[in-house]
Amino acid sequence: MLDLLLRRRARSLTNTLRRFTVYEWTRNAAFACAGLGLLYGLHYGFFRLLRYLMTIELLGPLLMWKLTAMMFLMTLSMVTVSSLLTALTTLYYSHDLRFLMKAPVSLRTVFLDKSLESAFFASWMIGLVLVPYVLAVSRVLHLGWGFFAAFAAALPPFLLLAASVGIGFTLLLLYLFPSSRTRDVVWVFSSLSLTMMYGLVRFAQPERLIRPDALKVVAEYLNFLQAPTAPYLPSWWLARGLRAAADGRWLDYARDAALLWAGAAAVYALLVALAGATYFIGYSGAQEGTLRRRVHAFAPLLGPALLWKEWVIFRRDVKHWSQMMLIVGLVFVYLFSIQRLPLDSADLRSLVSFLNVGTAGFVIAALGLRFTFPSVSLEGRSWWVLRSAPLDVGRVMRQKFAFSAVPMLTVALVLGMMTNHILGADRFTAWLSLGALLTVALGVCAMGVGFGSLFPRFSVENIHQIESSLGGFVYMASSLFYIGLTLAILAAPMQMHFSERFGRPVWDWRVLAFSAASWLALNLFACVTPWILGRRALENHE
Amino acid sequence: MIEIEGLVKRFGTHAAVAGLDLRVGSGEIFGFLGPNGAGKTTTVKLITGLLKPTAGRVRVAGFDVATQTLQAKRAMGLVPDEPFVYPKLTGAEYLRFVGELYGVPLADMRRRIPELLEMFELSSWGGELVESFSHGMRQKLVLAGILLHDPKVLVLDEPMVGLDPKSARLVKDIFLKLAERGTTIFMCTHVLEIAEKLCGRIGIMIEGRMVACGTLAELRAQSRTDGLDLEGVFLSLTGGAECSTLLRFL
Repeated sequence: MLDLLLRRRARSLTNTLRRFTVYEWTRNAAFACAGLGLLYGLHYGFFRLLRYLMTIELLGPLLMWKLTAMMFLMTLSMVTVSSLLTALTTLYYSHDLRFLMKAPVSLRTVFLDKSLESAFFASWMIGLVLVPYVLAVSRVLHLGWGFFAAFAAALPPFLLLAASVGIGFTLLLLYLFPSSRTRDVVWVFSSLSLTMMYGLVRFAQPERLIRPDALKVVAEYLNFLQAPTAPYLPSWWLARGLRAAADGRWLDYARDAALLWAGAAAVYALLVALAGATYFIGYSGAQEGTLRRRVHAFAPLLGPALLWKEWVIFRRDVKHWSQMMLIVGLVFVYLFSIQRLPLDSADLRSLVSFLNVGTAGFVIAALGLRFTFPSVSLEGRSWWVLRSAPLDVGRVMRQKFAFSAVPMLTVALVLGMMTNHILGADRFTAWLSLGALLTVALGVCAMGVGFGSLFPRFSVENIHQIESSLGGFVYMASSLFYIGLTLAILAAPMQMHFSERFGRPVWDWRVLAFSAASWLALNLFACVTPWILGRRALENHE
Repeated sequence: MIEIEGLVKRFGTHAAVAGLDLRVGSGEIFGFLGPNGAGKTTTVKLITGLLKPTAGRVRVAGFDVATQTLQAKRAMGLVPDEPFVYPKLTGAEYLRFVGELYGVPLADMRRRIPELLEMFELSSWGGELVESFSHGMRQKLVLAGILLHDPKVLVLDEPMVGLDPKSARLVKDIFLKLAERGTTIFMCTHVLEIAEKLCGRIGIMIEGRMVACGTLAELRAQSRTDGLDLEGVFLSLTGGAECSTLLRFL
């Protein structure tokens, strides 16, 4: 029966592709090319890094494989976190579950079908980023396509194993706490634990281990490089297997690949076996709404109705709380990492403070992908309420913007001010970087609402489907390009400022005026273009 | 109150609505019937401004839906075929939200919301999240939402689906009362009995075209089905007689 369920997905995909118009083919091909370009950029960066590592005598290969193992470990943890967020909606709230649960299909088959879907959504994008990395390894070591094929064969069980954590956790959580209120509490505590775990791992300063000066003797450092990275985790099996494939030890590779496949098969067999007794109890509990009487006061609303609605819905959805906790954890870890940077001179600290516009901008853009970009699509099937009301689409967009702008500006302010404080940046750099970061936050927010309106997906059942859609990619790529251009434009005044610090006053007001005009033009273009296109698309959305 | 002229809506090469002309007057209850896929819901979406027409014009309460969209929407109330409402709002909060969107004064909301919840027997559910409501309760909540802002035109797509007999009776009485007060009601339904009892005029749409329109007597005359009830007229116009042939295969 599972093959039938999987065939329906394949059929849906082919039907969608068959019905593409020439415009849709062209548009998707253009975006696919842009995506490939981005992957190539990543590949190029990885290639340069690995090639540099390989030039280090004796340690080069050790460093490269250590980095590979750490990349896989990072992928494993990211997919695990992602699966925690995806599994609940996919396993218990998918639109097609009402049909599947009524059909004469075994519960275990439905569970397996939904688990595979959940694993796919949680891992495909993160897994895709490994491709340019492994291709770079292959190029640096002059390995053929056989090596890449070995990676491709071992990747699916690795991602499945990583995603199984979220699936298993959700299955047990919903079974043990079918009552929605208890489940919400447990969900929040789980997220809190995850955030704390993340913080603890970071505060343990693992980067000390890859800095030779942090270890007492060379032998200790060599031992670290040669030692397995988390040997009991699938990420190490994948790294070890690929190293064996690179060395031509195919039997060893086959052993690790078999370990991955067998591990994935065993874990999913266990989950499926458990699902027989637990899945339906959780599903049944998930269908019950939260019965919690609320007294409605008829006081005037503090602010426009749309903002009030956004706030009420946001604070009642427990999934948002867990993400807020993760963001707070992320901000702390970010600031901690800044504090631990080995920067000796004041000039270097000021430079990093300026470059912080790029890295903190990336964090803000990633937050926008999670919160701002999906905000229009999350109106979902209730969109008709706003669309049939005497309400201009632009007003809906403006209020979505206002709702997102406050937290985004707060994060930008905290990251900007705290980083400048920690680094002790000079006044000019501090003000410039803070101003730039706040502008970036507003720009990214406007782009999130604009692109979210340009690519609305009202009928999706999972927020990850919105994030990982074509529109999500366009938003993220545009945001990164915008942040990069911001840095490039502001580099001119920064350069003049540094020249002055070094005793060479070279303030050229024409260059300064040009930078200011370019910055203004960039922000206008970045905010207004997606906004206008998005508004038009939303007005004509059918 | 509703004026439709040469309305066309194409999806690719398929014409969901292929040239519709219709006028529904003030205080009239108009029934809009047709088999599945006839273009009824598309027509509802075109009237309420949820879709842009390929050609033609719709005026509601004197406002052009394409150019005076906000004024037209302010004069209208829609009950869609599927009553999806924000699941994380309570029943009372949803009504409050709708009231704010339509500019209902706070004092009126304070009075009307408890009244409407009481009328639809939702008083004890007003403080619960909509996610815990049944389909019928959501339908009643949506109906309460449109009554809150007292629109001049009601556009209803299957308003009785999911309602229990008592609520269905209540809703019918409400519609009749509103029509008496001059409200225009445009109603899509598959329940022919309701259409026969409530609607002054009935239009039957097939494949995007209105094939018959008028009172029941006029429909009988148009379809040459003297003495038949609305079901008989409908089946004769939509080819329902073929069903009996098909049923023999069962």
